[in-house]
Amino acid sequence: MVDEAQFRKMAEMITEMRTTAEGLHAMADTFPAVKRNTSRMLASLKMLSINVCDLDDLARTE
Amino acid sequence: MAQDQTYWNPVIETLPREKLRALQLKKFKRIFAWTYEHSRFHRALYAQAGVRPEDIRSFEDIRAVPKVEKSMMRDIQRKDPFPYGDALCVPLEEVTEFRQTSGTTGQPVYQPDTWQDWEWWAECWACILWAQGYRPSDRVFLPFGYNIFVAFWAAHYAAEKLGCEVVPGGVLDTKARILKIQELRATAMMATPTYVLGMADTARKMGIDPSSLTIRRITCAGEPGAGIPSTKKRMQDAWGAKVFDHAGATEIGAWSFECSEQPFGMHVNEGMFLVEIEDIDTGEIIEGPGRRGKMVITAFDRQAQPCVRFDSKDVIEWDPEPCSCGRTFRLIKGGVVGRADDITKVKGVLLAPSAIEEVVRSIEGLGDEYEVIVDKIGDSDRITLKIELLPDARGKQRAVEAALVDQLRLKTNLRYDLQFHDYGQLPRYEVKAKRFKDLRKDH
Repeated sequence: MVDEAQFRKMAEMITEMRTTAEGLHAMADTFPAVKRNTSRMLASLKMLSINVCDLDDLARTE
Repeated sequence: MAQDQTYWNPVIETLPREKLRALQLKKFKRIFAWTYEHSRFHRALYAQAGVRPEDIRSFEDIRAVPKVEKSMMRDIQRKDPFPYGDALCVPLEEVTEFRQTSGTTGQPVYQPDTWQDWEWWAECWACILWAQGYRPSDRVFLPFGYNIFVAFWAAHYAAEKLGCEVVPGGVLDTKARILKIQELRATAMMATPTYVLGMADTARKMGIDPSSLTIRRITCAGEPGAGIPSTKKRMQDAWGAKVFDHAGATEIGAWSFECSEQPFGMHVNEGMFLVEIEDIDTGEIIEGPGRRGKMVITAFDRQAQPCVRFDSKDVIEWDPEPCSCGRTFRLIKGGVVGRADDITKVKGVLLAPSAIEEVVRSIEGLGDEYEVIVDKIGDSDRITLKIELLPDARGKQRAVEAALVDQLRLKTNLRYDLQFHDYGQLPRYEVKAKRFKDLRKDH
């Protein structure tokens, strides 16, 4: 089972990964391999957000 | 180790109800705002109803959001941005997947998905397959057409996501599929109930006992059957495998699943979907268990063509009991028990076609196939049930008929004109069956 502190840490790491992927994606207009692969990464990161960050964000705002 | 874990998402799947509801409200507000902002079709609908994103503060407020029906989607499509029309919420170049509905209820509805939506589909299915016991050690055989219908596409990607080995059995015919299952020792497969029973029949004609094959897990979708106890039993007995139900739809997503506890019902994936049950006659929301109604459903994370308060016409009811699996996702009792547009009155009696299937497949001596025809003789309804007597039940027809008449009267409150046929005489369906035919013009 995942404890609250671990869950929070996961959410932070996912957010960092998303920021990195978004940055890379934004730089890559002339580099299709990076552009398209980071698009895919961002889709997977969205799944991580759904599984972790959505609930963590809710807990933070309560 | 991860694969020893019961839940795909151990936090959300066991979240206390009040936290789950808070998450659902937050996510509904998010998808409603997205849809309002990006879909011209939906915004016009919401503007007409006078509902804006800032108006949604509670579940009661959600009920003011107008519902969308399939027919409305048909009307707006085949226009620019072609071919999706005004409900498309992303630039056309972000659409990576095209699928369409089967067209059995009218002109097919197109469904665009972005790559993120496609990942979301696989994520929904991953939760399902994990709950049904699929693990990286499974070799999953998929005997479906890999064509324009969404069918088991997302299940394929979900099985990969779980780390299973996936064998695409697309182009092979049924005999070749059975031989491939045998050759590769596949441990799991997914198909419609009609096809599961059809494959078993073909295997037996090939001299192969399907229960001697290595399949231990079967996920069914596409039509009712795995939620009908006698049909489930026939499939499980035929294959020596556990059979699990799932309900989903092209326009909605993979919203429900039977877990490994097989609780005679299905969990709604309440982390990904909001299900409301509406009284068919009054439209009142049914909060508690014990009353059937029509499902209105929202997918929280689907973006290209969102599903927000979609009137699915599926008839369901909440189960009063929690599931022994420990998930706090509510169960719908018996799964999807019918469709609001399938439930009909015959001789003044409300009839759900699934009730007939339950009876037919519970009677020893009857084959899997049957056909129901409703027509009129003058002003009176007539309902005819065609069934097949199994070869080893010849000589027992009277007893079989007596049992059938008795159960039909008990379970459906109707008398039928019965027509017995020899085994193999009734139509066989490849994938999805259409066994109930209502020929009355004014039903």
